[in-house]
Amino acid sequence: MTGYLLEFSQALLALLLAPMLAGFVRWVKARLQNRRGAPIWQPYFELAKLFGKDVVMSNNASWLFRVAPYIVFASALAVTFLIPLIAAPLPFDNIGDLLVVVYLLLLGTFFLALAGLDTGTAFGGMGSSREMTVAAIAEPTIALSIFSLALGAGSTNLSHIVVATLTNPGVALSPGHLLAFAAIFIVSLAETGRLPVDNPSTHLELTMIHEAMILEYSGRYLALIEWASWLKLTIFFALLANLFVPWGLATALTPAALAIAVVTLILKLAILGVVVAVVETRIAKLRLFRVPELLGMSFVLALLAVTSSFLLK
Amino acid sequence: MDTLFSQLSTLGSSVILLFGITLLWRKSLRAYTDAFRWQSAALTVMFLIIGYFGNDPELYVVAVFLFILKVLILPRYLERMEQRFGDQRESQPYVNIVTSLMLSGLLVLLAYVVTRPLVLVSDLPTRGGLPLAMGLIFVGLFVVITRKKALTQIVGFLVMENGIALLAVLGTFGIPIIVELGVFLDVLMGFLVMQVFVYHIHSTFESIDVDQMNKLKH
Repeated sequence: MTGYLLEFSQALLALLLAPMLAGFVRWVKARLQNRRGAPIWQPYFELAKLFGKDVVMSNNASWLFRVAPYIVFASALAVTFLIPLIAAPLPFDNIGDLLVVVYLLLLGTFFLALAGLDTGTAFGGMGSSREMTVAAIAEPTIALSIFSLALGAGSTNLSHIVVATLTNPGVALSPGHLLAFAAIFIVSLAETGRLPVDNPSTHLELTMIHEAMILEYSGRYLALIEWASWLKLTIFFALLANLFVPWGLATALTPAALAIAVVTLILKLAILGVVVAVVETRIAKLRLFRVPELLGMSFVLALLAVTSSFLLK
Repeated sequence: MDTLFSQLSTLGSSVILLFGITLLWRKSLRAYTDAFRWQSAALTVMFLIIGYFGNDPELYVVAVFLFILKVLILPRYLERMEQRFGDQRESQPYVNIVTSLMLSGLLVLLAYVVTRPLVLVSDLPTRGGLPLAMGLIFVGLFVVITRKKALTQIVGFLVMENGIALLAVLGTFGIPIIVELGVFLDVLMGFLVMQVFVYHIHSTFESIDVDQMNKLKH
């Protein structure tokens, strides 16, 4: 029973933390650029505003356009049940391993791309085609790099990987882990629409990817999609933090351990948020046709990670 | 102690290999020079690590020479040549960037296959790095083959030389210092000869694009 309670509280935590994380990254970026910046709880107000508004929809929009936001949101929410956020062996471990996580994330991307095509606007189609180009290279890279961790742990189960790293801390410094970390970091920037690939804070026609697909959405649909994309950011950061640096995760279900786990999770997310904000301030967006080169680089990193953890066993 | 040593050596070799692969991703000569400089710095650290764990003080001396030659002198010369010839971008290599990245991944796999028998019989703590060093040699050779500018080819050659140095130090824990010094001298000489060639190519063709040399056939 406590296990299920833990699962639901973990999903709720991710759901509530996600807007705060997005707001935090924006705030750090603003400070780095000598602006005062909106308070970090601004995204909550945005969500409240959007949920209160009416939905305006194109006459040509089909049922697909209406269900896509729910699917995008639900698939992201489902992932939060499956990844170790605050405690390591989870009761839902047997429901899905890393492959389920990767494909749930891809399911959301797929429906978002379909929704972008659905209304037949030029920008929507452009955004969808770009998103698919990025996703086609990014998804195998995630799977490959998590495989390199799985090879070390002997299981594709995320909790098993975490527990294996906790029992044998030396593994965290092995080249397989470090290469996989670099690969997943690059891919998370691409998948969550962060800077060298996509700019989350602009609607410039020529460069936008994510924003182009959701241009037609308004009201509660837009709120769901925005929330889902923040949730995705949280999921990727949590994967980076907990798969590679799992210390702090609760292995026993005592209140003290869980409290420590929540605090360290927030701390790790904040550190990654600062890193991403610094990266976004320092580098410019890549030209679109250079994006596959960047992702190709991360694919090679993941390939090397798998090779070294397979052959050095 | 031994596991720490083997982990550090594998980790160091991976970092050195990564700087080699970075070459394939970047375009400007400045980025090539920077990658080479960082790679040589990592190689110096690697020599120090192996000198410390392998109890071989001679390697410290070699590391100092390596630092002076490959971190200070050669990149400095490359930068001077870049200033002289203007910004030489590798804009149209024979193999495009995504393909070269994928191929470099395959080359490293090949290196693992080639060195597998060696790694299986070896009981050195550094054996995990041997395939990576071999992979770096392949990647350096690949840069020499597929890049068009004479200067980027030189950097490819230097990276290949770094790979050989890495392989030597991982496999033998330091060859006699006199041989090491001879190798350094050879690298310096080779570099200077290539530099003279580059100046000649530039004065003949007004470009250091080696594609232009095909004109000599007609």
